Parts: sequence; C-alpha cells; structure tokens
Amino acid sequence: MGWLFVFAAAISELVGVVGLNKYSEQKTFTNTILFGGGFGAAFAFLYMSFNYLQVSTAYAVWIGIGTAGAVLINMLFFGESRSKGRIASLLLIVIGVVGLKALS
Amino acid sequence: MNKSWIYVALTSFFELVWIFGFNVASEWWHWIPIVFFIFVDFHFLAKACENLPTGTVYAIFAAIGTVGTALMDVFIFGETLGAGKLFFIAILVVGVIGLKIADGVDEKKGLVK
Repeated sequence: MGWLFVFAAAISELVGVVGLNKYSEQKTFTNTILFGGGFGAAFAFLYMSFNYLQVSTAYAVWIGIGTAGAVLINMLFFGESRSKGRIASLLLIVIGVVGLKALS
Repeated sequence: MNKSWIYVALTSFFELVWIFGFNVASEWWHWIPIVFFIFVDFHFLAKACENLPTGTVYAIFAAIGTVGTALMDVFIFGETLGAGKLFFIAILVVGVIGLKIADGVDEKKGLVK
C-alpha cells in the first residue's frame, strides 16, 4: 500500500515539474493547475506513504524515482543524451528501489 | 558564490524540517507552518540554482535529504535501519548524484535540454 503512494508521489512530482516549466513560459490557468496540482498531490501522497513505510525508505525512493523519471522523460521525448553515465546511474536507482522494496 | 552555498544548506535544512513535520503533525493547524516551510524550501532551492549548476545543487540537496531522513528515522523516530536498507539507500543516492552530475556536465558543454 505504502509503495503505491510513493510511486504516485513521484509521478505527481513529475507532473509538477512539467507544469512548472510550462508555467514559467506562460502563466495560464491550465499551467498553474498542472504546477500547483502536481506538487500538491506529490506532497499529499508522500504524507500518506509515511503512514505505511519508514520515512527514510519512502523519502529515498521518492527522490530516486522522481530523479530517474525526469531523466527518462528527457531522454525519450526531449533528446537528452543517453550517455553511459546516465544509464549506469539509472540502473543504480532501480537496484536501490528494488532492494528497499524487497527488504520492507 | 558563498551565498549560493548558504542557500543550498538552507534548502536542505528546511527539507528536513517539513519531513519532520509530516511525521509529528497531529492537529490541523500544524499544517500551516509545514506548508510555509515547504515554500521556504522551494524558495532557497530556486535561489541556490541561480548561481550554481542545477544538477550540482540537486545532487547535494538529495544526498543531505536522504542521509538526514535516515538519521531522523533512527534517532528521533526510534526506527531500526538494517545494513541492507542502508546499503540500498546508499546505492540509490549514488544513482541520483550520478544523474545530476551528468546533467551538470551537459550544462558545461553548453548542450540545450
């Protein structure tokens, strides 16, 4: 249960980041909702995950998935380089998340 | 430049403050200072990124946040963290730092994202 909330928090954060970028370009109502709603939801889900998981586990996974997610989006849609360093780092994050999941 | 590093320290500190708040909040009004601290956190993060590479700021911020929450877990909330969990948290943090350093490298090369 807690893991669903952490993943939802990470995804919401990505929505918030996209919204923030759009908002900084053009302050429309939709972009404001994306920005505020994304981050708001991220914090709400993170709070709920703390009720099920240890704080350190939930926070680390939230940061890890959020970071990895942002990089993957940049790679897939915005032509960010797929350097070996990035791939290796993504693998480390995946290993870390899977390991923490297995130990919880 | 030194001012920017102070901003990094401040954003890391306030990150830990609102995380602590999430765990101890029991009254509705507790959320007023918590939400305020979240905005302060974001403010200093934005300030730090004005003069330092975003990737570097975020890597340090994430590392301090993760280590800080682990210490908070053990010493304030009385949780046990086994060697296995510490190991995997460390691996995850190395991955985050690696990604953010890669971002920083690209920024220096002048690549547009």
